[in-house]
Amino acid sequence: MEALLGALNPYGFLIVSCVLAALLALSLYLPLMAGQLSLASPGFYAFGGYVAAVLSTRVFPPESGEPFSVGLLLAEMAVAGLLSALLAVLIGLPVLRLQGIYLALATIAFVEILRVLSLNLAITGGAVGIFGIPQPFGTQLSYLWVAGPLFVATCAFVYRLEKVRVGRAFTAIREDELAAASMGIVTTRSKLLAFTLGGSLAGIVGALAAHFINTWNARQGTFDASILYLAFVLIGGSRTWLGPVVGGLVLTAVPELLRGSAEVGALPAWLGDFLQDGRLIIFGVLLAVGCVFFPQGLITPELLARLSRGRGPRAEIAVEEAPPPAAVGSAPTGTGAGRDGP
Amino acid sequence: MFQNLLNGLAIGSVYAIFALGYTLVFSILRVINFAHGAVFTVGAYLTYVLTGSSFGFNGLLRGQSLPFGLPFPVALLLGAVLAGLVGVVIERLAFAPLRRRGADTLLTLVSSLGVAVALVNILQYLVGAEPYRYPSTALGALPTAINFGSAAAPVPIRTVQIVIFAVSMVIVALLTYFIRGTRTGKALRAVSEDATTAQLLGIDTDRLILYSFFLSGFLGAVAGSLVGLSVSVAGPYFGLAFGLKGLAVIVLGGLGDIPGAVVAGLLIGLAEAFVPGQYVAYRDAVAFVVLFGVLLVRPQGLLGRAQVQKV
Amino acid sequence: MRRGTVGICLLLAALLAACGAPSPTDSAAGGSEDATEAATSEEATSEEASEEGSDAGESESTAELSGEPIPLGVAVAQTGNVALLGQEQVIGAEIAEAFFNERGGVNGRPIDVLLQDTAGDEAGASNAFNTLINQNEVVGIVGPTLSQQAFAASPIADRAGVPVLGPSNTAAGIPEIGDYVARVSAPVSVVAPNAVEVALEQDPEIESVSVAFAQNDAFSTSETGTFQETVTELGLTLNPVQTFQTTDTDFTSQASTIISQNPQLVIISGLAADGGNLVRQLRELGYTGLIIGGNGLNTANVFTVCGLLCDGVIIAQAYSPELDSDINAEFVEAYTAGQDRNPPQFSAQAFAGVQVFVEALIAVDDEQGLDSLELPALRTALNEAILAGEYDTPLGQISFTEEGEVNQEQFYVAQIEMEDEQTGSFTFVR
Repeated sequence: MEALLGALNPYGFLIVSCVLAALLALSLYLPLMAGQLSLASPGFYAFGGYVAAVLSTRVFPPESGEPFSVGLLLAEMAVAGLLSALLAVLIGLPVLRLQGIYLALATIAFVEILRVLSLNLAITGGAVGIFGIPQPFGTQLSYLWVAGPLFVATCAFVYRLEKVRVGRAFTAIREDELAAASMGIVTTRSKLLAFTLGGSLAGIVGALAAHFINTWNARQGTFDASILYLAFVLIGGSRTWLGPVVGGLVLTAVPELLRGSAEVGALPAWLGDFLQDGRLIIFGVLLAVGCVFFPQGLITPELLARLSRGRGPRAEIAVEEAPPPAAVGSAPTGTGAGRDGP
Repeated sequence: MFQNLLNGLAIGSVYAIFALGYTLVFSILRVINFAHGAVFTVGAYLTYVLTGSSFGFNGLLRGQSLPFGLPFPVALLLGAVLAGLVGVVIERLAFAPLRRRGADTLLTLVSSLGVAVALVNILQYLVGAEPYRYPSTALGALPTAINFGSAAAPVPIRTVQIVIFAVSMVIVALLTYFIRGTRTGKALRAVSEDATTAQLLGIDTDRLILYSFFLSGFLGAVAGSLVGLSVSVAGPYFGLAFGLKGLAVIVLGGLGDIPGAVVAGLLIGLAEAFVPGQYVAYRDAVAFVVLFGVLLVRPQGLLGRAQVQKV
Repeated sequence: MRRGTVGICLLLAALLAACGAPSPTDSAAGGSEDATEAATSEEATSEEASEEGSDAGESESTAELSGEPIPLGVAVAQTGNVALLGQEQVIGAEIAEAFFNERGGVNGRPIDVLLQDTAGDEAGASNAFNTLINQNEVVGIVGPTLSQQAFAASPIADRAGVPVLGPSNTAAGIPEIGDYVARVSAPVSVVAPNAVEVALEQDPEIESVSVAFAQNDAFSTSETGTFQETVTELGLTLNPVQTFQTTDTDFTSQASTIISQNPQLVIISGLAADGGNLVRQLRELGYTGLIIGGNGLNTANVFTVCGLLCDGVIIAQAYSPELDSDINAEFVEAYTAGQDRNPPQFSAQAFAGVQVFVEALIAVDDEQGLDSLELPALRTALNEAILAGEYDTPLGQISFTEEGEVNQEQFYVAQIEMEDEQTGSFTFVR
């Protein structure tokens, strides 16, 4: 066990980063389940981070030399989640009336406004940010004690959500909002719930990340980050919770591992360098290609159904439960082409 | 006061000139082409290369330069033509396949975003992320600034900013004439109303869409080069930053409305210039507050028509 | 969905290919040219091809050197805008590596300078530090480039017990970050006022001063504080201060406001790309008075940004190539052999940083023997040795306070003189 931990320790930063990335991908996935392309996650992530940073440096700073108590860390995460949820409701109520691209634009605007605010307010440390956020753990790998359970809990939650009435309402809205409304689903409430869940999750992750990264400023929640999470979801799979998780884990880990392998000599150096330095090139190409060829991402419900098909009666139910393959190219708010009202 | 006004127009005309290509594609295809910011950047770099300048110390092409150097206006036009071709390639790769499948506009948006990210990072891989500046002989013998005030109370505006303003006005006039007055322009409007019907009427929609992407890329490159002249080419990402503010501009002006884009650009520029001194640091937020407000209150923008949602 | 399966298989294959854990980077003695020396960038927002300079990292083929190379980390900005400053540090560090290995290294063992790119922001610096500490297992780190990055990344080294020497961190509060954090770059509070005094010498009629600074950078914020204090102490009028971001390019508002304030002196605290741009736009709008640039503009790379308009900018210096000392003469010679101009401050400071590490390593080896120490103990002993020593560097005679602050006596002021669009030099005026 010791040896295993020792071997993993240099990768501690990477492992925890992957887990956090998967969680952030899920925070984008939640509104997407209800057909909302919301790019607001980085805003809530930054917000949650600031909450934790301010609380741990101004309100409850630990004695010097003492590690930050894990209990306080969990409390911070809870507070961040709650405040993010409130913020999400505040923003969501007016914004969720919009559809499609207008909603995406509004969330982009929200993230930018939040960013400029955080650049200027004294409480957020202004443009310089907040440094020296206390550490609850000695090594980076130890953050897994908190990130791990959070990850498992979130995955279980989303998995359950997809099967429960609330989650099915999301799916119904995604497939056809008007039809869903006419069937009695209160669409605004459902959409708001999905948006709030996503925002809250992002806020919780932000609180943890603030301690993990040890410094927090306006650069932590930007439009670039939205593109990254979007890539995780769209490439990983936008129709099932496993998609964003795999997308986040793999797309964060692979470039790092490939760079490491370049050093070993398993790959020619230029290729390894390119795969690391050119990571964003690959992301962009994957995003564009994915939209054309894999509009639903790599991990789809059909794929999962096929993988579990060889397992007896339960598999048959799984096959029936998988939503009928949506029309090729139909995106989250898809009811075919031409819908572009505000 | 007067200085602020002029500053606002100067800043605003940069936004306007960026937004023109943006909104052109939207007016034809009803999609936001996020790759416009990338083409804007590519155009700036192409012009840089064509003036014979060399690259810095990072990137695959470090230290390289073309064996010849063109005067700035020629380099600008040639670079813009090349960038237009890039725009066409982007259309073929990212937009045409999706259009053929009748894909949702959001998917096209994301696809164009992917292309933008890839393009900008390829650029960075090739030439590094350091800032580049055009040769200062670019504007020839023109003075660097023109004083609109008096010697005692100077109100200077840099010449290059005046050039940008003038160019944006000229372009909007030409574009409006083109769209309203010529046959091709009318065909474009027909395609934007209903592509299928237009095709049935014998209009070659594919060709027209190619033209509009070429035009949009051309305009984007002109914008990029002029802005690069004004503030230096700050790195491969500088077009994407404009891309975000450009969204605010085209939404305010009404998505797809060409004169609207210019008017909105100038308005946002003025709003930014009139931010009072102690809040200067919030200036960047102005465009996005406007965007947010417009989306909530009047999503069709100032000059657009309300969209009727078909069921 | 066959395509999906194919996709997953591809990803799995890639993962499998990457399965070999990276081996420790130390290679056998003589000729350290690991792939790890190639610059790597980790930041998601700036990727770059390898620094060509890494080739110079080869140790000279010396008959005297034997034994395991000692890994020393250098984490500076090699990509992005901040690379305008960091690139000079890379050159300085590489010259130092060759220089000291030529002269016998650490009692016969060569040093191995491992470069990690921090890019321009805090996350990049943290990543670089983590890699150097955990994967490369360095004995110490010279870096990062910006004070802003140091506040984020140096605590990581401090917690891990790895000595860090800031080669260019001049903001207030850097040595106080921790016991393992020190710097060879004198703080702005000491360096900056010299520039103002020189400006007054050149134009005794100065009455009103305008100041602009990059509010999102810790160093600029610190430096402008010093500048503003100096201006008020000297009895000059300080006009309302202008702010900008290091990422700004359009300075129309700031420049036109400054012009309307009608100052005789403008002081700019920012980095090279933004500061240079502001200088250019000020001059284009017709400002003819004196300009003082802060340490962030202290690089020849600013010439590419403002060209001929850079001419006349006054910048305080912590280093002069004209300092009369043996080590400086040798350093200048080594530098001019590879570049066609005199060494700049950033290179000299990076050189000094590596030099301090080498000499401290020699001290530890003499006292206890490097081989007898495990890495953590070695790092701690090295840290103590650094703080206790006195060093004759190109910067002059330096030593450290208990906190890690540098004691330096000589400071200078230079003024930019441009010959044409691209070529210029820093002429020392004091």
